[in-house]
Amino acid sequence: MADDLAPSNDTEAARFLLRAKFSAPPADIAELRQLGYRGWLDRQFASPRGQTGAEWLDAAGYGAITEKGEYFWPQFGDHMIWNQLLAQPDEMRQRAAFALSQFFVVSLNPIDGFWPPYVMAAWWDVLTRNAFGNFRTLLEEVTLNTGMGMYLNTKGNLKEDPATGRQPDENYAREIMQLFTIGLYELNPDGTPRLDPAGKPIETYTQDDVTNLSRVFTGYDRDMSQVTRTTVAWLDYPVPSTDFCRDPMVLDPANHSALQVDFLGAHIPEGTDGKAALAQALDHLFAHPNVGPFFGHQMIQRLVTSNPSPSYVGRVAAAFADNGSGVRGDLRAVWTAVLTDPEALAPSDPAIGGKLREPVARYAGWARTVGVASEGGKWNIFDLSNSGKSLGQSPLRSPSVFNFFRPGYVPPHTAIAETGAVAPEFQIANETSIAGYTNFLQWAIRWGYGDVKPSYATMLAFAHEPKEVVRWLNLHLAADQLSPESCALIEGAVASLGVTVDSDDAQKTNALASACLLVMSAPEYLVQK
Amino acid sequence: MTGIVTESLTRRAMMRRAAQLGVLGAAAPLAIELTSAAEAAAQASSGDDYRALVCVFLYGGNDHANTLVPYDRANHARYAAIRGSVAFRRELLKDTVLEPRVAQTLTDDQQFALAPYCPRLKVLFDSGKAAVQLNVGALVAPLTLAQYNSPDRAKNPLPPKLFSHNDQQSFWQALGSEGSTIGWGGRLGDLALSSNEQALLTCISASGNAVFVSGRDALQYQISPEGAIPFRPVKHMPWATPAVSAALEQLVTRPSAHLFENELALLARRSMAMEGVVNGALDKVTLAPFDPVPDRNPLADQLEIVARLIGARRELGSTRQVFFVSLDEFDHHNDLPAKHARLMAQVDEAIAAFYRATVELGVAQQVTTFTASDFGRTLVSNADGSDHGWGSHHFVVGGAVRGGRYYGTAPHMSLETEDQVGQGRLLPSTAIDQYAATLASWFGVPDSEMATVLPNIGNFATRNLGFV
Repeated sequence: MADDLAPSNDTEAARFLLRAKFSAPPADIAELRQLGYRGWLDRQFASPRGQTGAEWLDAAGYGAITEKGEYFWPQFGDHMIWNQLLAQPDEMRQRAAFALSQFFVVSLNPIDGFWPPYVMAAWWDVLTRNAFGNFRTLLEEVTLNTGMGMYLNTKGNLKEDPATGRQPDENYAREIMQLFTIGLYELNPDGTPRLDPAGKPIETYTQDDVTNLSRVFTGYDRDMSQVTRTTVAWLDYPVPSTDFCRDPMVLDPANHSALQVDFLGAHIPEGTDGKAALAQALDHLFAHPNVGPFFGHQMIQRLVTSNPSPSYVGRVAAAFADNGSGVRGDLRAVWTAVLTDPEALAPSDPAIGGKLREPVARYAGWARTVGVASEGGKWNIFDLSNSGKSLGQSPLRSPSVFNFFRPGYVPPHTAIAETGAVAPEFQIANETSIAGYTNFLQWAIRWGYGDVKPSYATMLAFAHEPKEVVRWLNLHLAADQLSPESCALIEGAVASLGVTVDSDDAQKTNALASACLLVMSAPEYLVQK
Repeated sequence: MTGIVTESLTRRAMMRRAAQLGVLGAAAPLAIELTSAAEAAAQASSGDDYRALVCVFLYGGNDHANTLVPYDRANHARYAAIRGSVAFRRELLKDTVLEPRVAQTLTDDQQFALAPYCPRLKVLFDSGKAAVQLNVGALVAPLTLAQYNSPDRAKNPLPPKLFSHNDQQSFWQALGSEGSTIGWGGRLGDLALSSNEQALLTCISASGNAVFVSGRDALQYQISPEGAIPFRPVKHMPWATPAVSAALEQLVTRPSAHLFENELALLARRSMAMEGVVNGALDKVTLAPFDPVPDRNPLADQLEIVARLIGARRELGSTRQVFFVSLDEFDHHNDLPAKHARLMAQVDEAIAAFYRATVELGVAQQVTTFTASDFGRTLVSNADGSDHGWGSHHFVVGGAVRGGRYYGTAPHMSLETEDQVGQGRLLPSTAIDQYAATLASWFGVPDSEMATVLPNIGNFATRNLGFV
């Protein structure tokens, strides 16, 4: 890509922004057109971070030790992540971290004990802090994060015990290979599977590799060294401070396996120090040729299209392998390659291009476009994964480590399947969710959800002009994907509310929310192209 | 302590006995009800040709060894030695020892108990309404340990990606790895489509999208625990106008040349078309609420809507249906005792409540429920949990089930025998295909069609395991 390449019009700018982050408001379109793609991305990479999840929880009062036992309540974790996605200023970082959270999955669902929201905030901090950093650093912080330790059982993982027959837990060893680095099958640099002479895909690892690697992840537990304890009248044990959520897990050599580790061709000798063994194992995984195409393919799917060409994947994988300065795993290079690839910037295939926009991205995009605010600063948005009543998806609430949908999901007997294409987000699309989403919108975009209410502040001025309302929303929510016929249909419907320049704000909001409901329910919007 | 629950007991005798023994606890009402179930079944209208299969999928890989636990002293001692801290103490199992209706001699004279938090499944087993299929799992063809260890995979094929959650979920549901688009429940649905007035109500998931209920022709229809979800703003916009509702309906259902967009429109049309039909029929169903179940049992919620749909079968013109329900988070690598207790108690309550509902609806003989899961788990513990395994034990429940007995071969309680591949991962002695073929046969699939439903069934000598 030429360094000075810039969108040639507002539509192209909005299209790019709605991939790079959640929303494409007017100021961002102007900035992007002025700076060009590369300049705009560099500015995002250099921009300061917003409030971290933990800082926000503290400020919102969710760290208080109360007799109600709120230190056990998980739902503040939902409030925290919704605040991050809908309101923190480092929007591209939030968007990138959300994509990462669907690759490196930790779900709040089973996180229990003291301070689950702080556990999730620390997890989110790992993703946001490293979103523009290096994959190798990210991988290590992911591995040692307390939330991941709780989710995939590295926390408290003990070495083998010949006396009792106990074996190390294999969960993290398996999933770090299957999901977080190399995947199941050997890949060519363009992400296509390598085939053996019989034409079959070649498996990357065996059960024996898992069993060996599991030894590396033994001996870890929460770091309680910075924790202070508060004695309270209503408990016969003290309440710990939240520090253990933030601090990486620590190694107790006594619980770490000293056995040698042979996995994927690497050999870590017997008795290697635990810290060194971890570094060697992560280095070995990081160096595996699969990581670039495996990770890059999924990041393309999250941000741009469900079905990238092998050459597109190959270019992103090449950027992963070398950022141009000889550095492997530079995520800035990956995001830049994903978002500015010629295939991404060219018009998408009219029959199969793009992807189904995720429910979370729809809601976050809407909120950041029309403006929302939490009246009490509490951001009382809960787990929205119920498909009959809300979005059918919620950040940091995956039902399992396999995310809400799989990269290879094929919606059965559809025309999509007949073409051989995949459509991951269709895994959460069904008769229930498609109606439940619309019902959720009907309420949330007019009245708000919890204490998070829309303002529509910038739009009230033209709310009496249906044509302008639709033009504005089509550009900013949908990068002008709605056809002229759909726009005309929506304009007519909005006009039926009879809002005039003299109507009050409530009436104007009725018109604006009607337009949002119609735009955001239209398949032409739902498929991001 | 044999035969504490039998159909011949009168209700009063049952109550007296339960009180005397004090063993049934929460399951006592069920036990009492089952004594009159035979009468209810006898009264059920004959000539109702309805049949339904209900798959209860335990996502994450259920720990079979703490679900069905050796109780005889010798095998329990082996179990306790291998499992260490996650093992049940023997005295905890005494109230849930299974009592086969006919004496069965199992491998190493094993006698089994259910986990103590499954008292209702015990009652169902003892009363002949539930069977246990031992060590069933993913196979392409029968396999010995030597064949498993043989490098000649062409001659000794293995299922793809053993021990991997998503692939083994897919294999249980569709006999292929992730990306498969046709499940065996869906194939059953293909054969049954013409039996139902509403073809779309042949294969139904009350859980999320599941390949199990997707056929070559049969589509998965998805229903929520609350019933079909209407597009409320299409019906009424309290803060806008009917014109907005009309525009919304047009927009969401309009065909498109883009395949993704068009698929969404098709989905919206299906959703809208079925909503009135389904909810209209559900409104006419009277069924006692699923009580007592604790306030939050998502599996019971799903099975309740399945029961209500079955209750609406005549109204909807359904005669053959395949249902899918599920419960998440069985991947108990740690904290197994507490987490397994919570989840399996939900399974116990939900399956019992569902069975009772089928009795109430007069279809106990016509509805067969079975469990499935990614895989079993290792016998060896990793301190307080277990790891991904292979073969597992499963339950089949219903009035038509030849229950109160075990099917298949009990594995040794061992880490060395030839029925396991390391750390106590069971090498399945029965294939999913055989388990499925038995259910399919009961569902009405003729033997000549079995290979279209289960392509590998020809690799196995026994097609009907006889449990239903």
